[in-house]
Amino acid sequence: MLYLGPVIFGFILGLVVGIRVKNNPNSNIKFTTGFYIIIFIVALIVAWYSGPYPFFDDVPISTAFISGTIGLIAGSLIRKISGTQ
Amino acid sequence: MSSILKLFAFPFAVIIVCLGIMTIFGGHITPGGGFQGGAMIAGGVILCIIVYGLEESPINFSHDFISAIENIGALGYIGLGLVGLITSGFFLYNVGTDFYGLIPQYIVNIFHYQDPTNAGIVPYFNILVGLKVLVGLSAVVIAFSQFDKTKDHIKNDDENVHKNMNNQDNDNDSLEIGD
Repeated sequence: MLYLGPVIFGFILGLVVGIRVKNNPNSNIKFTTGFYIIIFIVALIVAWYSGPYPFFDDVPISTAFISGTIGLIAGSLIRKISGTQ
Repeated sequence: MSSILKLFAFPFAVIIVCLGIMTIFGGHITPGGGFQGGAMIAGGVILCIIVYGLEESPINFSHDFISAIENIGALGYIGLGLVGLITSGFFLYNVGTDFYGLIPQYIVNIFHYQDPTNAGIVPYFNILVGLKVLVGLSAVVIAFSQFDKTKDHIKNDDENVHKNMNNQDNDNDSLEIGD
């Protein structure tokens, strides 16, 4: 059974920070799709090696970490799609 | 800053932010919690501001955003405390677990956090404190990084004030001579 507390609220916290991630047109830094894919893979590796907290025996990875990453990526994509950058 | 730092800073900041989120959600069972996790998230934001500068920083907190999140954190904390006060008579009573059997079961179900440790509302407090700390510490660094602009602005204002005062003095002198 997946415990929903860290999944839901981790996503929300990631979304709050991710919604402020922006591409500056004057900057040389560009966030492409490949960037987000690599970040997600690295986050999966970190979450796997972090492992779950004590008493959380639902999945072998840190659900708060991975849902925070998904929220952050989702927030930045929402901002990108909404065209506010 | 160097190109190597600019290449690595933002991906590293993303990982730091996610580690901060993880720390917030372990606050009720392990060392960590709202303040520590919020400080880690702010660390990621501060890293971006230092490396890229405030103008080009990929994670950019506006004044309205900082104000809104601060308000949500503070008012949410007080609100959760008041729920305990209203329902049980004790401020900050853990209405998500109700160890003393003071409140109806449906209120316990509303505020019960979904995890195996029966933590009640403690994770919610951690989240709210984390929100408040992450924008609070970021706001300090954002304010300091804008210090040069503020200093120039104050300098210009002072010069204008001195000019006006000198002009007024000259006017007063001329009046005295005239009188």
